[in-house]
Amino acid sequence: MRARQAGTGGAAKKLVIKPLRAPSLPADFELATWHKLQAAVRAVHEKRPVESSLEELYRAVEDLCTHKMAAATYARLEHECEQHTERALRQLASASSSDPSAFLARVHGAWLDHCQQSLMIRSIFLVLDRTYPLQTAGVRSLWDMGLQHFRHHLLALPDVLVKTVGGVLLHVQRERQGEVIERSLLANLVRMFNALQVYAERFEGPLLEDTAAFYAAEATRLLDACAVGDYLRHVDTRLGDEAGRVHAYLHASTRKPLLAAVHAALLTPHAEALLERGFDALVEEARHADLRLMYSLYSHVGKLRLLKEAWAAHVKRVGSALVLDVEGEAGLIPRLLELKRACEELHVRAFERAEPFGYALREALEAVVNARANRPAELLAKFFDAQLRANAKGGGEEDVEHVLDAGISLFRYLSGKDLFEAFYKKDLAKRLLLGRSAHVDAEKLLVSKLKAECGAGFTNKLEGMFKDCELSAELTAAFHAAAPPLGLSDIELSTHVLTTGFWPPYPPIELNLPPQLCALQERFTAFYLGKHSGRRLTWVHALGHCVVRAQFAARAHELQLSTAQTVVCLLFNDAQQRALSLREIATGCGLEDKELRLTLQSLACGKVRVLVKEPRGREVDDGDAFSFHDGLQHKLHRIRVNTIQLRETAEEAEQTELKVCVDRQYQIDAAIVRTMKARKALSHTLLLTELYEQLKFPLTPVDLKKRIESLIDREYLERDPRAPSSYRYLA
Amino acid sequence: MAPPGLKVTVKRWSAVASWTWTADDDVCGICHMALDGCAPGAAGPGDDSPVVWGKCAHNFHLLCISTWLQSKTSCPICRRNWEFAPSAPPPSATLAEDG
Repeated sequence: MRARQAGTGGAAKKLVIKPLRAPSLPADFELATWHKLQAAVRAVHEKRPVESSLEELYRAVEDLCTHKMAAATYARLEHECEQHTERALRQLASASSSDPSAFLARVHGAWLDHCQQSLMIRSIFLVLDRTYPLQTAGVRSLWDMGLQHFRHHLLALPDVLVKTVGGVLLHVQRERQGEVIERSLLANLVRMFNALQVYAERFEGPLLEDTAAFYAAEATRLLDACAVGDYLRHVDTRLGDEAGRVHAYLHASTRKPLLAAVHAALLTPHAEALLERGFDALVEEARHADLRLMYSLYSHVGKLRLLKEAWAAHVKRVGSALVLDVEGEAGLIPRLLELKRACEELHVRAFERAEPFGYALREALEAVVNARANRPAELLAKFFDAQLRANAKGGGEEDVEHVLDAGISLFRYLSGKDLFEAFYKKDLAKRLLLGRSAHVDAEKLLVSKLKAECGAGFTNKLEGMFKDCELSAELTAAFHAAAPPLGLSDIELSTHVLTTGFWPPYPPIELNLPPQLCALQERFTAFYLGKHSGRRLTWVHALGHCVVRAQFAARAHELQLSTAQTVVCLLFNDAQQRALSLREIATGCGLEDKELRLTLQSLACGKVRVLVKEPRGREVDDGDAFSFHDGLQHKLHRIRVNTIQLRETAEEAEQTELKVCVDRQYQIDAAIVRTMKARKALSHTLLLTELYEQLKFPLTPVDLKKRIESLIDREYLERDPRAPSSYRYLA
Repeated sequence: MAPPGLKVTVKRWSAVASWTWTADDDVCGICHMALDGCAPGAAGPGDDSPVVWGKCAHNFHLLCISTWLQSKTSCPICRRNWEFAPSAPPPSATLAEDG
C-alpha cells in the first residue's frame, strides 16, 4: 500500500542491476592444475613424498569441480591409475619366484600398496569423489574404480591369480598338517579375493575340493588305524579346527559347505562301517561320552537312522541271549531289568532322549521279552512273588515300590499277559492263604498297577481274592463269637472261604481228618450254611495248614505243617513209640499214594526231620518204616515245615500253561467265528490279518490254521469251492 | 497244655474251603454261563452274580431272570408261572464234604 502510494506520489528513481562479470579463468587453468595433481598422483604411486601441500591439492580439485571440469579430471585420473595398476601387476607376473610363500608376500604387498594408494588418492580427490560419481550414472567411486582395474588386470594375468590361490591353499593344507602359518597374511589375501569378487568363483571351489581330497585320504588312513571312539573324537576335532579356520581367515559363507565337505569325507561314507566295527563295544563299555559324540555327528550327516537301528539290534541281540539262556533263567528278570536300566541311561545321556530312539528301544525290549514264548511271563510272575513274599530280603517300602515299578515296566512289553495272570494268581493265592504275604499294601499296590496297565477286567479276579480274604476274616471272627470252644480241644480255627470263580482251581485231596478236626470242620460248615443258604462248601486241604505243638526229647517246638502233614504226624500219637510202615500210614491218613509219598518225604527227608525214615534215603520206598523223631534239635522255637506247599512243581506249572493254552484256543475260535459272521466270506490271508489284530497273545499261523480246520470240521465254516484259499461262514 | 503221652497237638488250623451254589444245573438256562461263573453284565462271580431258585426248582442268575421277567412272567424252562422260592431247596445231592 505504502509503495503504491509512494509510486503514485513523486517521480520514482529506477534502480538498475547490472550482471556480475565473472572473472575469466586463465586459459591454461585446467591443464596447469591437472599437471600439479598428476605429479602428486605419480608421487603417491611411486611412493615418493608429495611436493605440494595436501590442502593445496584438495583445493585444486575443488576448483576443477567448481568449474565443471570434473568429467575430464575423472577421465585423466582413471587413465593414470589404470596405467599404474597394469604396470604393478605386470611386474608381479614377471617376477618369477619359485617359493610360493615369497610370491604370496609379494601379491600381498602389491595389494596393500594398491589399497593405501587408492585411499591417499581418494583423499586428495575427495571433492571429485563426493560429487561427480554420485551425480553421474555409470561412473564408479574412485575406490571402486581402482578395484575394477585391479581386478581387470589381474584376470588378464591368469597365472598370478592361479598361483595366488594355489599358494593360499598350500598354506591351508600345511596348517591342517599341524604347521603354524601366518594367518593374518591369509586373512588379507582372502579379503582381497573378496574385494575383487573372485572369492566364490576362483577360490571357494578349489578350497572345497582340496578339503574333500585331504580328508578322504585321512579317512582311509585313520579308519583302520584307530579305534572307533578315537576316530569320532578326531572327526570332532577336525570340525572344530575348520570352524576356527573359517572364523580366523575365511569368509563366513564358506562355513557351511566347508563343514559339509569334512562330514562328507570323514563320516558319511563310513557311518555304517564305524557302527559295525565299534558300536557294540562302545555300548558294552558304557562309553556315554563317545556315544553322545556319535549321536551328534550322525545327526549332522542325517545318519541317525543307522545309529538307531544299530542300537535296537544291539539291545535285541544282548537281550535275546539273556532270555534264551535256559541255564541262567533264574536270574533272568533282574538281568533284563539291568539291561533296561542301562539302555534308558544311555538314551538319556547319549541320545538326548530322542523320541525315535525311545520308540526303537521299546520295540527292541518288546522283542526281547517275547523272544521266548511263555517262560518269561512265568518268570516275571515268580519275580513278583519273590518280592512280595514275607521272607523276601528286607528293604523299605519305597524300595519295594521301586522294584515293583521296574517289574511292571517289563510286564508292559509282555505279549502273553494271560499266562502271566495265571501264574501270578496262583502265587498270590498261596501267599494269601498260607499267610506268606509280606505287606498287604504292597500286594494291593501291585494289583492297582496291573489295573492301570491292563484295565479292570484283568485284575477283577485278583481283587475278588482280596475281598474273599477280608470277608473270611470277618467270618472267622463271627464264628468264634457265635460258637463257644468245644472244650475238648482248644484248636483255634480260621477259615478262608473262597469264591470259586476267583481262585485258581485246586485238585481235591483225599484225607481222613482226625475226629477233633472233623468236628471243628462240621461246626464251621453248619455255621456257614446257616448264614448263607443255597451254598455248598468244598474243603481245599491242599492249602490248609496248622500250627502244631510237638514234644521232642530236648524241648517242645511249634511246627507249621500243612494239613496233610498234620494228619500224618497225628498218627504217631496213637502209635506210641512204634514205627509205622508206609502201608499203615496210608490207611491211617487216607492220602492218595503220590501225595502221601510227597508228604512223607517233606517230613522225613527235608531240612527239618520231624519223622525218621528207616532205611535212610532221599526217596520214599514201599518197604520204608517211619517213626517220630524224638531227637530233633533246632535253634528256633517255631519251625516251618510246610514250605512244600509254597513250592510249585514242574507239573503244576505245565498244567497252568496248558490251561491258558486251552483258554486261548477258545478265544481264537470265538474271534474266528465273530469275524466270519460279520464278513460272511474271507480269504485265508485276510482272516489271519484280522485275527492278529484282535488277539493279544503270541500266535503262530499254524495255531490259527489248526483252529480254522477244527471249525470247518464242526461246520461253522466251509472252504469256498471256487476259491480254495477262502472260507465261508455257515449260518 | 498237651496231655501227657501225646507228642503232637494241633493248636491252630487255618483251613481253606471254597463255596459254590447248591444248584442242580451246571449252567444258567438263560445265559448258558456256569452258575458259579459270572452272569453277563455282572461284575464278577460269587456274590456279584447271585443265583436264585424258582418254586418250580429251576435256577438262574438273578440278573438273567430279572431281565427275562421284564417281558414274561413264566419260567423260561418249564413255562410255569414264575415265583421266587423263599430260600434254596435243601440240596438234593449229598453235602459236598470230603472230610
